[in-house]
Amino acid sequence: MTEPPAIVDALQPWPDAVEWRSVSPKLITVELIGRTAFTAVVLIGLLVGWVLAEHWLWPVAMAAVVLFGIWRTIVTIRAVKAWGYAERDNDLLVRHGLLVRRLSIVPYARMQYVDVTAGPLERAFHLATVQLHTAAAASDARVPGLPPAEAARLRDRLTALGEDRAEGL
Amino acid sequence: MTIPDTPSPAGDSGEPRRRLHPLSPLLHGAKSIAVIVAALSWNTLGQVGFEKFALGVFVLAAGVVVFALVGWLNTGYYIVGKELRIQDGLLWRRNRAIPLERLQSVELRRPLLAQLTGLAELRLEVVGGGKTEAPLAYLTVRDAAALRERLLVLAGRTPNGSAPATTQAAPAAPALERPLARVRNGDLVISQLLTPQAFFLPVGVAFVVMQFVLEGSWTFIGIASTMTAMAGVLLQPLRRILQDWDFRLARDPDGRLAVRYGLLETRSQIVPLHRVQSVTVTWPLLWRAKHWMHMRLDIAGFAGPQNNSDKRSDRLLPVGDPETGRYLLAAVLPGVDLYALPTAPLPARARWLHPIALRTFGAGLANDVFVTRWGLLTRELQLVPYARLQSVRVVQGPVQRLLRLATVYADTGGGRSAAAHDRDVDEAWALAEQLTLRARYARVLGAAPSSATPFALDAPSGGDLPSDWPLQPGGRAGTPFGGGLPPGGALQPGGGTGTPFSSGLPPGETIQPGGSAGTPIGGGVPPGAAVQPGGGVPGPAAAPAPPAAGWPAQVDDAEDAFWRRPSEP
Repeated sequence: MTEPPAIVDALQPWPDAVEWRSVSPKLITVELIGRTAFTAVVLIGLLVGWVLAEHWLWPVAMAAVVLFGIWRTIVTIRAVKAWGYAERDNDLLVRHGLLVRRLSIVPYARMQYVDVTAGPLERAFHLATVQLHTAAAASDARVPGLPPAEAARLRDRLTALGEDRAEGL
Repeated sequence: MTIPDTPSPAGDSGEPRRRLHPLSPLLHGAKSIAVIVAALSWNTLGQVGFEKFALGVFVLAAGVVVFALVGWLNTGYYIVGKELRIQDGLLWRRNRAIPLERLQSVELRRPLLAQLTGLAELRLEVVGGGKTEAPLAYLTVRDAAALRERLLVLAGRTPNGSAPATTQAAPAAPALERPLARVRNGDLVISQLLTPQAFFLPVGVAFVVMQFVLEGSWTFIGIASTMTAMAGVLLQPLRRILQDWDFRLARDPDGRLAVRYGLLETRSQIVPLHRVQSVTVTWPLLWRAKHWMHMRLDIAGFAGPQNNSDKRSDRLLPVGDPETGRYLLAAVLPGVDLYALPTAPLPARARWLHPIALRTFGAGLANDVFVTRWGLLTRELQLVPYARLQSVRVVQGPVQRLLRLATVYADTGGGRSAAAHDRDVDEAWALAEQLTLRARYARVLGAAPSSATPFALDAPSGGDLPSDWPLQPGGRAGTPFGGGLPPGGALQPGGGTGTPFSSGLPPGETIQPGGSAGTPIGGGVPPGAAVQPGGGVPGPAAAPAPPAAGWPAQVDDAEDAFWRRPSEP
């Protein structure tokens, strides 16, 4: 407490008090597979267009798509690494976002229900997403890329902590 | 006159299923005539001629009435335990169970036709419902009032709690209620004349007239359809006048808020005070000469801002002068004084984001509510009780990161989130931490007001917390942050008096600790100034003491005099 921190990072509040946990790095793979598939579909579409009607705009568009894909890949890798959550005694903290950084503080007592979802791609990589819902639609507490055991633990802990309050408001 | 249904499907409940009033299908049919006419529109009238048009409408309406009649036969409601069950549906039978502990407010609505026939519609607002749940249309007024009282009692959490769960004869007797405020109809009319729509109405009419003069086609249908189209937009002030006519607010014996208003369609709504999620006070530009304001309250049941125009039933005050607004706000949020709310301005570098309106933004932590204000032309102030906070978010966009700013959102169960835009980053963190802390205290205290220390805080001083928590004004004068809140977790003890944002921040970075009694963020309304009742209008409402040299140097000065009480009685 004697030395004030030189730089206050917007994603690192109360650095002493909070222990951030990051999501699984396998989420990068999942995200990248999805992105690659999307890029490939677009590229094929453009290629078909190029074959059917020759014009210099087609390859330019393809190059743009590839560049965009590469940029998004970098962003995705960094974004997944930036995603973090922390369980404090009374609330759950979730932070995410690179360009626009967001941090949500959701008290357990305000929990309405917990969603655990896993898409086919996520299941293939043994990942799951836990989302905490409150009565406020704006609450934004979603933690993707959790290993199943961790997701189950988080779910059980959240429900156990949120149980004592049925009223919700 | 609800009719107990003999073959009760809910035989196990012990309570017979009740039907709606027998006139309901007729009223529904009448309502749908208007819809049909609107759907067929003027064009059809022009094409098929009046007789055929009338015949078509009649046939359709008759069909609708028959349909409604069959629906009425299949509709019923009954109460089981703490649930209201409603059965309806013709082809798809529905059996809905509405948990009454989630009941937010009950509205008794009487459209024109229902008024003529002595009927009323009961609408329930329930948490989690995007729309109004289960309108019970129609019941007799007496039945509806009795049912409403019964539902509210079953919903529980009435302050005295001793009301028996039996149906009282006429619970809506106005004699028992304490009137809070009443809006003069003259004021209402003037206030609605002072709206942009009312100003544009002559322009719109002139435009239409010009159009027809130029085209030279004076057909009845053409004029009628144009006027109909225009009416939707331009007659909104008129609609508001009709809706808010004879607006009365009262407090019923159980301390709930009873709101009544309407000319053609009267509505009477009862809102338990602990269901109020947030209050928004608005000072429109054109009302400013009169210092008028209007107030809205958000309840969790009402649909979100997307259909705000229709769902305006959450109004608290359509128009009111400063004293009324202050009185009413204190009635809805006890202990909150509209003109002594401390707010802190934005840092000067936020001018890059708000070149003109910088001074209109502000946020502050009052004793029981989180305060944000904004708006240059139409000024708004939003108050969220800590006890109603759902979650807190801190968001920082790229430009904000360059400027070291961040926005703090306080989410509630209804309405929009209160947003403290573009605060300094350090301040934003302290604000977020304070909001979560205060919300936790408020929750715990609200849930168990009698028990002494029900919470297990991570603070070492958890024992005697509620006694010196800032709920007690004047307990520790002028120590908004450091004093009452526990020095635990990220919170550093504030070092005595008046360090506005001592939490989690090293002293000396941005904040000068010192004798800033009127710390804006921190609810430290100095005990003297805040509680000044009426009387001699105090000049500065928020910061009488000389502010500290550091951060909160300029608190609500200069043009922020607007936020104070106007210097006229």
